[in-house]
Amino acid sequence: MKGLVLTHMGRREEGLELVKKGVRLDLTSHIVWHVFGLVQKGEKNYEEALKSYTQALKFDKENMNILRDAAHLQTQLRQYDGLVETRHTLLRLRPNLRSNWLGLAVAYHLNGQSGEAKKVLDHYEVSLKNIPDYDVEHSEVLLYHVRVLEDLGELNEALNLLDVSAKSRAIIDRVAIMEFRARLLSKLSMNDDAEHTWQALIEQNPDHYSYYKGFLSNRGVDLDSITDETRPKALEVFKSFSTQLPRAAAPRRLALAIATGDDFKELAEPYLTSGLDRNIPSLFADIKSLYRDPQKLSTVASIAEAHYAHLKAQEQPSPNESEPPTTYLWTLYFLAQHYSYVGQHERALELLDEALSHTPTLPDLHMFKGRVLKRLGDPYGAARCMDEARVLDLQDRFLNTKCGKYRLRAGMNEEAQDVLSLFTKKDAPSPGADLEDMQSVLFLLEDADAYRRNGNLGMALKRYTSIQKLFSEFEDDQFDFHGYSLRKFTINIYLNMIDWAESLRSHPAYVRAAIAASQIYIRLYDDPTLASRSNSSAKMSEEEKKAKKKAKKAASKVQEDPKKPAASSNDDKGLDAGPPKDDDPDGTKLLKADDVLERAAKFLNPLVALAAENIDVWIAIYNVAIRRKKYLQAVQALNRVRALDEGHSELHFCLVHFKKTVSSLPQEPPAPIGPTVSQSISGLLPADVALDTFNSQYLQKYPGSPRASFAFARALKALDAPVEEIESTLFGLLHPEANLDIKTALDALAYLDNISSSRTDEFRQACDSRFERSTIFKAPEETIALRKQAIAPLSDVSATMNGNEDKTEVVS
Amino acid sequence: MNVRPARVEDLAGMQACNLQNLPENYTMKYYLYHALSWPQLSYVAEDHKGRIVGYILAKMEEDVTDGDEPHGHVTSISVLRSYRRLGLAKRLMVQSQEAMATVYRASYVSLHVRKSNRAALALYKDTLGFTVKEIEKKYYADGEDAYAMRLSLKHLAR
Repeated sequence: MKGLVLTHMGRREEGLELVKKGVRLDLTSHIVWHVFGLVQKGEKNYEEALKSYTQALKFDKENMNILRDAAHLQTQLRQYDGLVETRHTLLRLRPNLRSNWLGLAVAYHLNGQSGEAKKVLDHYEVSLKNIPDYDVEHSEVLLYHVRVLEDLGELNEALNLLDVSAKSRAIIDRVAIMEFRARLLSKLSMNDDAEHTWQALIEQNPDHYSYYKGFLSNRGVDLDSITDETRPKALEVFKSFSTQLPRAAAPRRLALAIATGDDFKELAEPYLTSGLDRNIPSLFADIKSLYRDPQKLSTVASIAEAHYAHLKAQEQPSPNESEPPTTYLWTLYFLAQHYSYVGQHERALELLDEALSHTPTLPDLHMFKGRVLKRLGDPYGAARCMDEARVLDLQDRFLNTKCGKYRLRAGMNEEAQDVLSLFTKKDAPSPGADLEDMQSVLFLLEDADAYRRNGNLGMALKRYTSIQKLFSEFEDDQFDFHGYSLRKFTINIYLNMIDWAESLRSHPAYVRAAIAASQIYIRLYDDPTLASRSNSSAKMSEEEKKAKKKAKKAASKVQEDPKKPAASSNDDKGLDAGPPKDDDPDGTKLLKADDVLERAAKFLNPLVALAAENIDVWIAIYNVAIRRKKYLQAVQALNRVRALDEGHSELHFCLVHFKKTVSSLPQEPPAPIGPTVSQSISGLLPADVALDTFNSQYLQKYPGSPRASFAFARALKALDAPVEEIESTLFGLLHPEANLDIKTALDALAYLDNISSSRTDEFRQACDSRFERSTIFKAPEETIALRKQAIAPLSDVSATMNGNEDKTEVVS
Repeated sequence: MNVRPARVEDLAGMQACNLQNLPENYTMKYYLYHALSWPQLSYVAEDHKGRIVGYILAKMEEDVTDGDEPHGHVTSISVLRSYRRLGLAKRLMVQSQEAMATVYRASYVSLHVRKSNRAALALYKDTLGFTVKEIEKKYYADGEDAYAMRLSLKHLAR
């Protein structure tokens, strides 16, 4: 008990010691096991906690508190068989508690026994007495019951329960009633009734796309795969809704997606001109998905161009007439986006300059100019544009965030935090720390990527690891709701939360972080000297040194915290272990870890199930597996890539790498692995062709593909070709017909640097002149000046407009 | 843009949208708490790629003082700058209010806004019809005052 109190007081270690002593003194006391379990639960060590609870229950089988906690742990750990048992016991002990009934139904449901869940609900509802009208909780339970029936395919029963309960006002959530009803009626082919309900839903919320989908599907039209036969039917429906609901955007926009030819033109014209006249900034973002159809692309372009010509003709003689000048501006903005999208960036810049000379105070124009420059390989100019946009409206955090992001894209970690700090908490150790506390995935990822590009692998790993931790936090967050939702009776959404928690890590940020971190770990494994080179202070820039100092200061601040005010040491710190102090402010420990491959594997592991369609994930898994000598896993990864995209350039490199690695093994791995691997290799690449030939054949197969040439060059290296040959392949990328893009150019440059080629600088200069607008290929000395320019105080124009901008405290 | 009730898998997108747009931020647990307590009240607007470009995070006031009626509260509402002028804030707000009135019989909805946030104030007042009920001194952590605003939902009662 004393241990528990001490733990609550924040003296965790001392407390834990006492608790353990307690357990040793009396192994048959349910109290000590319970306390031990509580402390372990606080540390999020759910598995061990459940073991302690199980021990405790041996000595006190009917302890309600222990049983309830155990049920929550079993849910968190997805041990549903045990959960059903625990919930049974709880219900048997306290059948008068409503949530115990629900608990058992949910346990059955999670365990895949919906039929049993239904029985429990039936019993429960019969036993209820005196339910007040308009009882939200009961309404939620009944909606859950309807869902169970629907899941079981008992559609008539579901519909009946829904209708009876809606009529008696036992279910009061109107939107939910209509959604269930429309879906059930459609499934039951009661099409007329269903249509009425879909119609009612559309009237209730005319911007909900899936209501239109439901309406059409009920009429036998699948909106996701429109045919020439169904197209006119669907267009007719959208036309009628557009008339009925003049303010709704959805039917108009949905019609654009399926219309073709003249129909499309007829619909697109009013949609675009009204969007331009209403100065809608997102108009281009809204319609660009239509560009998959080249015909639609050219129709949109000609409508916008015609509008532009019309406005331009109007503007010169009498600017006050009809269309306001803002429409002219937004038309230029739209066209600029269009031209940049189709790769005509110079035309886009011309249009933007025209717009900016007309109105220099519209942030959106500056923002988009920044985006075009970014696409042209000029991250510094882009960052400057974002800053220009930002100062036009200092109260707008959106502009501030974009500016910070673009500074990170230009590799300016410190400068990014400077600007982001205008909106972060002033009392946080640093702006970055506040953003991390607030779980800003965007910041962590962009900051990590910037460090990675700058070669500061320690900080990059630190940030990627923060993202990994963030997702563990999200997973932990569900814990409290295992009990809470039963008390609140919000079962449907609770079950959705359980599903969400299962697939949390399919989030693009986690995927990107896992891949990037695993690539760094692989580099560290392949070249262990990198760890000491990467963070060495010799290579550190002034800013990085400052950042390091700052981080150290922040870390020491955190460490001081617990002992700071003596008075507060008696406060209840709770059982949850607080955030551990940062003992690795610059990521050195991560860099020097001796289990880099295991860490990479752990990061990637959840993605095997969650991102099975992602080629980059499988490539990363291969690269880790082959180094861990997990040959079967490596083969499996390559097979997955091949099934997704046979000609993928990374696959080619990996195939060469794989065969080379396996054939250079001193002996074949023992059976059954060895034979399986050899067999798989012969399935993946031809046995009778030498790897050199295999490599050349691949290059010939994809002429004019820069990625293919890059993969070919790396395969040469794997096959121990002379460095001159690799260099000349990469220089071949610079030929005009080689379609070199900026990303591949950067990858090739980094690769040359990696293999310490003497021609690295020559390649850099060639890229610099090849991509005229780019600044990303400048020499380090020039880069320093570019960085300064990107954040230099802005021209007088904006300064005078905002008055004393330096003093403006940004609060909103 | 597609406007629909928020689902659990939208919460991360709502959080990202909020962090990008507003100075008042919350951790995931607070979003979960809203969704799992009042699943009908939060809505999102998403683009064609399924990215959240606007949201309303709303709840019912839990500590209703004596004499006060049950009422809803908007914890946070925002629309990305590049998706403005589509009337999304209004659409999100209307859906949430309907649910407050019909499911929880809320008689009004309240919200707080920083005194200095003119843009938001104009949205609540002019576009959404809220009125200032009172000024709450030092409502925000940094010491700034807030306007407490209200909008009656009596017309939605049934």
